[in-house]
Amino acid sequence: MTKGKLRDLSFFLSPMVLMVFLFYLVPLVMTIYISMTRMRNWNVERYLTEFVGLYNYERLFYMFQHDPTFKAVIMTTLVFVGITLVINVFGGLALALATFFINERPASSYRLLWLLPRMSPIAVYSLVWYYFFHGSEIGTLNSILMSLGFISQPIPWGQVTPWGAWSVIIFVNGLVGVSFGMIVFTSALNQIPKELVIAARVDGASSWQISRRILIPMIKWHLLYVLTWQFLSLLTTYPHLFLLVQWDLVNRDYGTTLALYVFNTAFGRGEQDQGLAAAAAVILSIIGILGGFVTLKVLKFERMMKKPRGDF
Amino acid sequence: MRDVETRPKRYERLIILALLLASLPLILGFSLLVLSSFSTEMVTNLDPNSFHPTLENWINLFQGKIATTGGIRVNIWRITLNTLIVALGVAGVVTGISALAGYSLSRIDFRGRKTMMVLLLVLHAFPGVALIVGVYLLYRLTFPQNYEVVGLYSFAYVILARAALEIPMSIWLMKGFFDTIPWEFEWSGIIDGASRITVWRKIMLPLIKPGILAVALFAFLAGWQDIIYVRTFLVYPTLATFIEANIEAEYSHMPLIAAAGTFYLLPTIIFFITAQQILLQGYSGGIKG
Repeated sequence: MTKGKLRDLSFFLSPMVLMVFLFYLVPLVMTIYISMTRMRNWNVERYLTEFVGLYNYERLFYMFQHDPTFKAVIMTTLVFVGITLVINVFGGLALALATFFINERPASSYRLLWLLPRMSPIAVYSLVWYYFFHGSEIGTLNSILMSLGFISQPIPWGQVTPWGAWSVIIFVNGLVGVSFGMIVFTSALNQIPKELVIAARVDGASSWQISRRILIPMIKWHLLYVLTWQFLSLLTTYPHLFLLVQWDLVNRDYGTTLALYVFNTAFGRGEQDQGLAAAAAVILSIIGILGGFVTLKVLKFERMMKKPRGDF
Repeated sequence: MRDVETRPKRYERLIILALLLASLPLILGFSLLVLSSFSTEMVTNLDPNSFHPTLENWINLFQGKIATTGGIRVNIWRITLNTLIVALGVAGVVTGISALAGYSLSRIDFRGRKTMMVLLLVLHAFPGVALIVGVYLLYRLTFPQNYEVVGLYSFAYVILARAALEIPMSIWLMKGFFDTIPWEFEWSGIIDGASRITVWRKIMLPLIKPGILAVALFAFLAGWQDIIYVRTFLVYPTLATFIEANIEAEYSHMPLIAAAGTFYLLPTIIFFITAQQILLQGYSGGIKG
């Protein structure tokens, strides 16, 4: 590597390297370290040097076996990730296909509308669903069902455990995730040669047959990609759940996934236990990193890595 | 779209109707919130009697009177300014760093380039929650003793920490935009004796303006909507933490909170209307890598 090239590279790359070092590498090491201390209530002065080894991991394991609250969190994580994943992938697929078969104008309006959950501020988005699923008669869903005569008493949706709380968090997060699949699938459908669809039409195939026999097989790779990517996102994000639990719209135990549990244990109300939270975070990170490499395999990443042309 | 010439028209209305039904909760939820901000009481139960049009909420909001009784006042403009500082800061940091790194990953061949790109994708998949505990410890350990710089420090920290989350994907996005520029533009510059840095600044940056705009827009919205990082690191309130706190406060007048929410939603709506192409393109651009 020549001197000039080295100078150029450090000019272009050093800000990124610095950021990655400061906000990924250092925090990761610190998290692993905290998970082996008795850190609580962010009492750094007192607990930072109190090393306890794998004690927090043992506690997590013990809680997993005996603590009903923690068991609820694990169950919620499994159900939430599983069902929301299916909704995200197939909802996204349904939206992409539906907008494929209609005129461009309504199609792009719908696509834009479904981006709204993702783009709107989380606090506003949560506020919307707070009123929609509110447990009294001011809740939109309750009032609709009551005026249609389906129910006579308002139902506190999020407090009905476990399925009420699960339905609310799955619904709210499902809407956010659907847009991702929709965009990926739409761009994939756009790349399918038009002749295939026209030929099938000429032969008298219906939209359903075209979708099943031509379109879906051709975007299989994208399906796999969205599936793995969304799995990772669902496992590890929590901001959209945070306020729903905070505002008591959903039950605390059955509305909390492991990722939110980490956050609330470290920063929530009452006694905070960062050692325990960090241990759970480390476990999540291990799953995340493994999942990240699986995603790379799915992506067939090597194909995308062409050498820059004509560099000298 | 692509299925035009031979498509039977009769199903089209059916599909549009089905989509409308599926979108109903979304449309209903957001429009009720906006409607409530113009009403004396919350319009959430579809009862037309609860809608009494008024502009009072908006006037009170801008004057900072958040309760109908008592003297509780907040400076909503200050809170908006805080939110704006975070959002603009995140946009600036993310755009700058990804314009630099994206160029070198797209155009310069060096050892470790592949590894670096793989690493970036893995980082993007990395759980933010696993980081925040460590990021907060770093925040505590570097917290200034001097009282006067605490505000500045917390702004700088929240901007950098939040920007870090956006950087992996933004670099990939930006690299994609650089990849689309033909080599010849750059060649001519280099043959004339310009350095890579000069070429980047004088030739490439003007050419990828749309890419810069897309990345900046996404980063701005990410910073604007954030709640977790601002409530953890920022010592001042933002619109997100303002709404969070006031849902639970007994004194707050809910239609006014609806107005605050609508106000908070405005940039998103504006970008929706003016930059739809960029929004949709930006997403798919990043995915194609």
